[in-house]
Parts: sequence; structure tokens; C-alpha cells
Amino acid sequence: MDEHVHWKGYLAVINKDGLYIQSSYVHGDQIVYGPDSDSTTMGIAAIQLMLNKGHLIESMHLPDSVDARIVYLATGVDSMTHNSELEFENILWDLLGGDEATLVITKSNSESYDFEEPQDVEIIDTDFHNDMAEAWRLEQETHHVSQGAYVSKSQYLEGAPARLSLRSQKVGDRMIWPPRQLDENGSRFSKDSHQLVAEAHVESWTKLSAAGAPSEFSLRAPILGGIQTLLVRFEQGPRGVFLVTDDLDYSPEIGDTVHFAVRRIYAQEGMMRYGLKAFPKR
Amino acid sequence: MNFADRLNQMLVLLGYVMVDVAVIGAGQTKFGNHKLGLKGMWAEAAENAYSSVDLDFEPRQIDEAFIGSVAFGGSQLGNTAALLTEHSGLDGIPVRRVENACASSGFALRDAWMAIKSGQADIVVAGGIEKMNDLSAERKRFWLGVSGDTEWERLAGLTFPGTYALMARRHFHEHDSSHDDLVHISVKNHMHGFENEHAHIRKQVSFEKAESGFMVADPLTLYDCCPTSDGASCVILAADHVARQFTEDPVWIRSSGAASDRLALHDRPSVTQLLATQKAAKAAYSAAGLTANDIDLAEVHDCFTIAELMATEDLGFTDHGQGGVFAREGRGVRNEGAVCINPSGGLKSKGHPLGATGTGQAVEVFKQLRGTVEDSRQVRDAETGLTHNVGGSGATCAVHIFGRERNG
Repeated sequence: MDEHVHWKGYLAVINKDGLYIQSSYVHGDQIVYGPDSDSTTMGIAAIQLMLNKGHLIESMHLPDSVDARIVYLATGVDSMTHNSELEFENILWDLLGGDEATLVITKSNSESYDFEEPQDVEIIDTDFHNDMAEAWRLEQETHHVSQGAYVSKSQYLEGAPARLSLRSQKVGDRMIWPPRQLDENGSRFSKDSHQLVAEAHVESWTKLSAAGAPSEFSLRAPILGGIQTLLVRFEQGPRGVFLVTDDLDYSPEIGDTVHFAVRRIYAQEGMMRYGLKAFPKR
Repeated sequence: MNFADRLNQMLVLLGYVMVDVAVIGAGQTKFGNHKLGLKGMWAEAAENAYSSVDLDFEPRQIDEAFIGSVAFGGSQLGNTAALLTEHSGLDGIPVRRVENACASSGFALRDAWMAIKSGQADIVVAGGIEKMNDLSAERKRFWLGVSGDTEWERLAGLTFPGTYALMARRHFHEHDSSHDDLVHISVKNHMHGFENEHAHIRKQVSFEKAESGFMVADPLTLYDCCPTSDGASCVILAADHVARQFTEDPVWIRSSGAASDRLALHDRPSVTQLLATQKAAKAAYSAAGLTANDIDLAEVHDCFTIAELMATEDLGFTDHGQGGVFAREGRGVRNEGAVCINPSGGLKSKGHPLGATGTGQAVEVFKQLRGTVEDSRQVRDAETGLTHNVGGSGATCAVHIFGRERNG
């Protein structure tokens, strides 16, 4: 019996063979990614669902289209692409990419798998789909770089564990996120790993007009009709600011509960920057 | 310098006497779209400051200079101050650029004040400059918001309109305030700036027009946001033992307070109060022996109308949460309320050339306290004035209190 799940904006099917996941969107007769998704973001969602279902997954074979470093930072699941010391035969799971916006997670020793077809796909507007695809293509060109508010690759990667998996610090009962360096006594905060629960409440929100959006978003903001940002407070105390996932028509209200999914934020110098974006709890 | 002055100077250096600091001259360019570049704008502001000194004065008498600038657009990002002083008759003296975002020249003023208070200098220039409108639209977008939290806020799609919009919506939620109150602030500041010859936008706006402006960052409209301006400003400070050589009518800096806060809004304990403002104001009031009730006029940092609303609370002109009522009742209108808020028009109308804003506020207070602004703009019976200069969305703040009288 297959279990059908709406999960972080994707359509998933789980059975004894593993997990099948696909984008919610079709364009013509093709399954295509939504405006801020790709195989990395959907692969992370797939792994998180498997972990959520109680599977113990330490490592996985990943297709080339998936950014192994981001997968590791977001889920803790390692791969040979990220860690060359892993041995092929010790990796028990495969993440397999399809021709379209589909992925499968299955045991490495499986000879075949079979899943029911997900329901509830949406037809994506052709102009919107094409415009966003072109904007991302331009943004990923190596010469595309912000000259003012510059976040270098190393700076992005330094904050990536907090950005992708809500890695935080704990002092007594108090959780601190994003992580900090020295405390009032001049001592380092503990590097013990803690994680915020990925559920938060909206304290405020805004929608920037396309003209007012930061330059990092200047190619996509006009297509999206602006940039929507939430100020949220996590159950455990810390606040944060997050973009709303691009494919949602969401009118936030103060007090709403939101969850998070890894999505594409922006690209610079040929490197995609991923991070958590918010979506309302259904 | 006579014998008494020399003796006093020695006592200051030895720590036996606390020196008072006077403003003896102040000048600025018009804020707005300038054809002049950095050198030309700075020369004009310095020239206006030099010529505002009542008695004989030459720039060669200046000991040191502090010049605030964000260096927007990257133009002469390094050694800005050396270039500018070279073009204003200040060759050879110690100079430096001070950068604290939009509070750059507020802190340049504080540094200059401290240089005199310490006894290391007698006459010091504090100034600021910014050239913002010579960039292409695309390049300007790169630079706007560079003083915010780049790593977290920027990557969440926020520039300053967005950050202040988050504060505004939360304030509306927690307190008796609404967007209408922000419209009142916008209308007032445009009214104040209308007759200011130095103002960027000399245009009055009606409530209806300001209410229906183009949405920039919901709930903030175009009429809630200050313009991006070019401009320079310059004030000349002097120790009390030399000030009377230059004027019989000095304005005294009665105190300087400054503080900082977390860079990112989400890291602060409150998003509807600027703790840096509260701390800086508390320090300034305490050092001057004054309270908010003693202030006749205040140039506050209204980069967005919600920033003025919050500043009236954080500076103590009204209780926390009552900023909306304060604006609604017109309590900051010139010669109508107990305190005039932004007689120059504020950043909203006078303009906001980032690095020049803080000392630009000091120029306005200097002129108001000496009664030398246009008659129609004069705050009646102005004895004590305050400047409030904020960096970023509240990460840094400098507050100065000026008076016709020295501290008692």
C-alpha cells in the first residue's frame, strides 16, 4: 500500500521500495521544478521525509545534479561526492534522478522499484516558468556578483549549518540562533550542536516591491511581483527573518505558524546559495 | 592666546579642569542631486562653515578633522578624509574618515568633541559627505542596504525599507498606532522642509497624497521613505578657552551620548524600540543634567516615518507605545507642540546623504539656536536642541544636546 504525502511543497509516495518524490508542477507533458526548487532542494526534502519516517540513513549515493555539500549540511547525510573517504560498498542508499523533476530513494541493493503516480499536480504558467528559468540562468553566470552587500562563498559556507539546518547554540535553557562567537565574559560559546525545531510564529511581515528588492533578487523580483519576508519567532525563543517560498500566494498574518523548506535563495559567482524559506502550516 | 588661556589649557591637559566645547561655525551644501563631486561639495560645505564664524578665522587654525562617510558607490573608499581636507585648506593636520553607516558624521561629531574634551586639540572640524546620485540605478541597488546585516537580513530579501516595514507592522500590532500616524509625520516633515533652502524635497504633500503613495515595502509607501541625496556638512568646534576669540555667540555642546545594539533586527530583544537610541539618549540627558522636557527642538533620524515615531518614544518625548498618538496630535509641529521634531524637514524632506546627515542635523540646530534660519522656519524661544543620528536599522546611535547655555 503506497502512502501519498504532500511534503515541503513536493509530492511524495512511500512504500516498501523506498520513496518517490516529484515536483508539484507540470509544463506541457513534463514535470518541472517550481520557481525556487531544483534537484538539490527536492533531494533534501526526500531525505528529510525518510529520516522523519524513522529510516536510519548515514550516507547515500547522489546523482551529479545534487549538491552533496548542501545535502550534508541540511540533513547530515554524507556521500562520496562530499566525503572521499567513504567506501562505495558501505553506502546502503541511492538517490536516483529522473529525466524530469523526479527523484527516487531506494536501497542500493534493490533491483527494481515501483510506486503509484502522485495526484494533485498543478499546471505552471508558461511565461512564468520560462521567465524564472531564464532569470536563474543569468543569475548563475560566473560574472553575476553583488558589488555592495557581498556575501562571499566562505562567508556563506560558514553560516550554512545554521541557515540550512537551524544549527544553534545553547546557554543554560536559552537557545541562540544564528550562532555567535564570544560571550560577555570573552569566552567562546559552546560548539555543542543543537538544533531549533523548525516551527515558528509570524511576528511581522513585509512585501518589498520589485523596485525596492535587493540587487541579489533584481532579476526575479519583477517576475514574482516583489519579495515577501517574514519575521518569525521560533518556539524555543530565537527570532529570524525568512523569505516565503516562491511558489506560494500567501497573505501572512501575525500569529500564523510556519514551517521551513530548503530552497534556492540566489546565485552569485556561479554558486547557488541555498537556505530555508518559510511556508504556512497547513 | 593670552596667559589665562594658556594656563587653562595646561590645567585641562593635566585633568584639573573639564573643558567645554562650543560650536563656532557650521555650514552645509544643499542636499539633493548635485552636479558637484566629492571635492566640490566638501569645499562648499567647509567654505560655508568657515564664513559662518563671526570673527576672524582661518582654516589653518584647525588642529584636526573627522569626516563621516559611507563612501557610497565605492568612490574614494580609502583615504576619503585626506582627499577632502586637501581641498579645504587643511593640509597636514591629522584627519580620518569615520564610518558608522548613516550615523557616520554623528560619530565624527562625537570624536571631534572628545578630541577637545581630552585636551589634545582646541579647534576641530567634524563633517560628513556622501555622493549617492551619480550611480546607475543598477549600481545603486547594489549599494543600498550595505549597512544592514548582510549575511542574514539581506539574504532574506531585506533592505532598509523592508526592515523598517517589519518594525512598523509590529508597532501597529502591539500599540495604538497605524499607517495614518506615519502619514501625519510625512506631512509635517514636508511642511517643515518646504521653506528650508537646503532641503532636497521642497514640496508640501497633502494627507490624501501621502496616504496613497506607491507601496515600497508594505506597509511603507514612497511618502514614508527618505530620498537618496548628495550633500556635505561641516561644523567647527572649539574649546571654551579659545571659543570667544571667534564668536560672542557660541552654541555649546552640552553632552554627547552614544551606544550600539545588535546589527540584525531579529537579534534584538525588541523590534519596536531602538535600544541604542535609548542608551545614547540616557547618557546625553544625564551628562547635561536635562530631561526630554527641556528640549525645544530635535533633529531626529527619520530615514522612514516609523523611525521618527519610534524615536519620539525612545528619546522620551512620549511614553513607549504612544508615538502614534504623539504624531496624530501634531505634538512635533513647529511652534505648536512642546518640542519641534525635525524643523529642517528631517531626512524625509531635507534629504539623507548618509555620511553628511549627522553633522547636517548639527548645522540646523546651530542655526536654530542662534536664530539665523529663515524667519518662517524659526522655532520660537529655542534654547536647547538635540540631534539623533542612527546607523543602519539601529545598530549605532549618537545623540548630542546643544544649548545657548553651558552646563551649570
